[in-house]
Amino acid sequence: MTNAIAPTNSAHAIPGSSARAGRGSIKMSARAVNVHYGATHAVKDAVLDISINEVTALIGPSGCGKSTLLRCFNRMNDDIVGCRVTGDIRLDGEPINDSEMDVVELRARVGMVFQKPYPFPKSIEENIAYGPRIHGLAKKGMELDAIVERSLQRAGLWDEVRDRLGSPANSLSGGQQQRLCIARALAVDPEVILMDEPCSALDPIATAKVEELIDELRGGYAIAIVTHNLQQAARISQKTAFFHMGQLIEYGPTSEIFTNPKVQKTNDYITGRYG
Amino acid sequence: MVDPRSHWQSESFKRRLRRRNASERRFRFFGVAAVLVAGAALSLLLVSVLSNGLGAAYRTEFALDVEFDPEILGIETPPPGEAVEILASADFGAILRTSLMRRFPEAEGRSEIRELTALLSRGASAELADRLRAKPALLGQRARIWIPTSDDVNFLLKSRESDSGANPSTRLSDRQVGWVDALMDEDRVANRFNSRFFTAGDSREPELAGIGGALIGTALTLLVTLAVSFPLGVSAAIYLEEFAPDNRWTRLLEVNINNLAAVPSIVFGLLGLAVFLGLFGMPRSAPVVGGLTLALMTLPVIIIASRASIAAVPFWIRESARGLGASPVQVVAHQVLPIAMPGIVTGTLLGLARAMGETAPLLMIGMVAFIVDVPTNFADASSALPVQIFLWADSPERGFVEKVSGAILVLLALLAILNGAAIMLRQRFEQRW
Amino acid sequence: MRSNQLSIAVLALASVALWAGHASARDQIRIVGSSTVYPFSTVVAEEFGRSTSFKTPIVESTGTGGGLKLFCAGAGLDTPDIANASRRIKSSEIELCQKNGVSKIIEVEIGYDGIAIARSKESNSIDLTLKQIFLALAREVPTPSGEFVANPNITWKDVDPSLPDIKIEVLGPPPTSGTRDAFNELAMEGGCKTFPEIEALEKTDKTTYKRICQSIREDGAYVEAGENDNLIVQKLVANPSALGIFGFSFLDQNRDRIRGSLVNGVESDFDNIASGKYPVSRPLFFYVKGEHIGTIPGISEYVNEFIGEKAIGDYGYLADRGLIPAPSDERKLIRADVNAGKVVKLAAEN
Repeated sequence: MTNAIAPTNSAHAIPGSSARAGRGSIKMSARAVNVHYGATHAVKDAVLDISINEVTALIGPSGCGKSTLLRCFNRMNDDIVGCRVTGDIRLDGEPINDSEMDVVELRARVGMVFQKPYPFPKSIEENIAYGPRIHGLAKKGMELDAIVERSLQRAGLWDEVRDRLGSPANSLSGGQQQRLCIARALAVDPEVILMDEPCSALDPIATAKVEELIDELRGGYAIAIVTHNLQQAARISQKTAFFHMGQLIEYGPTSEIFTNPKVQKTNDYITGRYG
Repeated sequence: MVDPRSHWQSESFKRRLRRRNASERRFRFFGVAAVLVAGAALSLLLVSVLSNGLGAAYRTEFALDVEFDPEILGIETPPPGEAVEILASADFGAILRTSLMRRFPEAEGRSEIRELTALLSRGASAELADRLRAKPALLGQRARIWIPTSDDVNFLLKSRESDSGANPSTRLSDRQVGWVDALMDEDRVANRFNSRFFTAGDSREPELAGIGGALIGTALTLLVTLAVSFPLGVSAAIYLEEFAPDNRWTRLLEVNINNLAAVPSIVFGLLGLAVFLGLFGMPRSAPVVGGLTLALMTLPVIIIASRASIAAVPFWIRESARGLGASPVQVVAHQVLPIAMPGIVTGTLLGLARAMGETAPLLMIGMVAFIVDVPTNFADASSALPVQIFLWADSPERGFVEKVSGAILVLLALLAILNGAAIMLRQRFEQRW
Repeated sequence: MRSNQLSIAVLALASVALWAGHASARDQIRIVGSSTVYPFSTVVAEEFGRSTSFKTPIVESTGTGGGLKLFCAGAGLDTPDIANASRRIKSSEIELCQKNGVSKIIEVEIGYDGIAIARSKESNSIDLTLKQIFLALAREVPTPSGEFVANPNITWKDVDPSLPDIKIEVLGPPPTSGTRDAFNELAMEGGCKTFPEIEALEKTDKTTYKRICQSIREDGAYVEAGENDNLIVQKLVANPSALGIFGFSFLDQNRDRIRGSLVNGVESDFDNIASGKYPVSRPLFFYVKGEHIGTIPGISEYVNEFIGEKAIGDYGYLADRGLIPAPSDERKLIRADVNAGKVVKLAAEN
């Protein structure tokens, strides 16, 4: 099928979708986004909204362009040679590809957590303090210490690491490392958090902890998460967008997508016919 | 269908297995043999250099009863508490001569006395003057003082040791040998530690020559090399690796840098001659020119090592830092460089070690020269350690043979220190993981 | 961090530029030139530095040609003051000097250098004539019928029945060495000329003459043992059947291990070389840049130290180092010329 949802740039809402039924107001929105890697057309006319106090899950088979689209929200694709992004992405109504928007500021407001737990090869404390330090968020050491503690607490890691803030970050377990990365992103006080398959490298127990954390964080942030794990999407997200071959197939409240998908392809995917 | 069990038990399979095991053993044997050959070559070098070179810091000396006669020296005895003023014309040679003649009154006539004084080093009188300068109270006194001998005496003693005394070959006359024997009977001949070897500049007398000047020359040269090539090399590597667009020009540049690293070092000497001496009119034989020339040579090595080291920094480090809002320069300075630093430092020290062993580029800019004065700054004429080894190896005097080995030992020790520093710095940086 | 590095680099470049105007004041004599004269020149320099208040001169061993090229590059203070030479300055070099503003070149002859042919003390010496040396080492030798054939001599006995039946094995310097040039000129060409038909060639066909007389065989009988004369001495000790060719000072320093051959019946010792009886010997020189005298301190004093009886006299300290003193009349003449400030003239040569 072709693109079922025609984007209308002026209104900046997704017509025909049930986006407005959600509780959050829209924080970021993407319209008519196309991404090309050289000759590959990775994302085709995508539309997506990320709302406050909600987790938006991006699901779809491998190579469907969901990660690429996610990276458009804080312009991480800028740094990839041969990657071209077109379309309209806005943060609080302001276009982020605009020259007015500084990419450094954007990334401070739209944080990112990556697939594998990638702490910097430094101490736990240094990992958290790095973001605030480069953005000048803390003037004194005390303030910085406070940010470190708050971020670790929000990431639910404080009690586990409070006695060894100076030890190397990679002495932590995989699950702790990923929560450290989330704490690192939280330390710059972002408004949006993008998560690119944050649990794919973790064991089930660590996954459960991270999921719990995401659910808690929902209260203060707009969160978008790319996941391969359909159960995870169902468990933690309020909105779900299903992508296939670079196109958005269906977008709506998670409960609807999983129980009553409107498009046959979505149904096929969530019931495991292909994937 | 063949029963797999019968296949595993078949003759042909067992034969193949034996062949495989044999080739495994053969490979391991060659590996061990290669390691042994390399080890043997290395220990052979070390043993020969050590056996020759340890003597370099020793020289043969006579204990002579020397009278510091103010009249012969033409020095007035100063009032107590004032320093002695030693004139350049003071004839310390005469003092040594009278001392020897008093001990051997049988030596008569010009040629015999010449033979007698020829037993002493040509630098003996200069050393005696230093002694008096350091201890003015000696003036007018008679004292037993150790005086360096000529290297012929040193060789006489050496050849006696090795030939167990029987028929030693020597350039000394029978009369001279008799005098040395007489002094030996009185325990007035000894091989004593010679600190000059580590502090003095070059000399044509082996017993006076030292590596001090060359060591300081090498240190000054390498300081300039490091100060120029490290920042330039690392900056170039960062730019090429992190910021430069990937196009035909940068690729051309890359190929050229790689070629430059393989260019014979003499070419850099020619370049240094043309640019630093010719164009800038900088002084010949100066460590600053040597350092700049060697920096040209070391630069591509550092660029290549730094680029490889920077490229090896995982992509996700950059992603993570960028994801937090770090600017490209912040990403490099805060995250990439610290991780790449051990590799950069190792590459730099290897480049410096190579530069330290070079003589060819220094030849063109006049650092391969006979230089007696120890350099005190970057513009003073100076040689370098490998240059000193090269010059001594070419000297006709036999006493330089062990000086060469001694200097090689010092060079090897310096290289060991440099490599040790590389390992230490590496570990220091890597602790941050 | 990166900006720090950039500023260091800028500083380094700035200091380079600062040095551009720094080359003027020099209070140290600079000497370049022949590697044969280097051992004598350095000893004089050291003695000069020790016994005077002047700084010890800096001596570079660049080879005669290379040294004169640097010497003649100009009269500025960034050029050397003295060039050592193991041969007389060529007219082309004088022209180069004059073209670059160096017109006051003072020639100083310091004595003689002999090229020794020697063997380990463990075996008997082989005494040779120049003709025998030529026949043993030339690439092509004349046959009785007057043709030239590749050198067929394998043992010394093949060269001359009076010589022992030992394989010809000679260790000597490579073509890049000054000693080799001198050996070619003095020994090979000297032996070559003993054939009247070849000597006649010198007039008629100079290239053939040069090729015949100065080519050394490359079939293994002559071994190029490297520039380092010490190495040749060591190899001779290790291999008593071989002969070696090197500078006289190395023979002198190693008389306990090796013994020189007689050449044309003449022993290679001080007297015979100085008197010119020993055929394989040559005079040594250094050249002083008159323009620098008075500007660079100590040049005249250095020259006087060098030509003093204490240095180049019969019992001077350079004699201890293997320099063969010139006869005493010649020494007087040298001193007189230097004191008169006699300058090398182009026309006088040709």
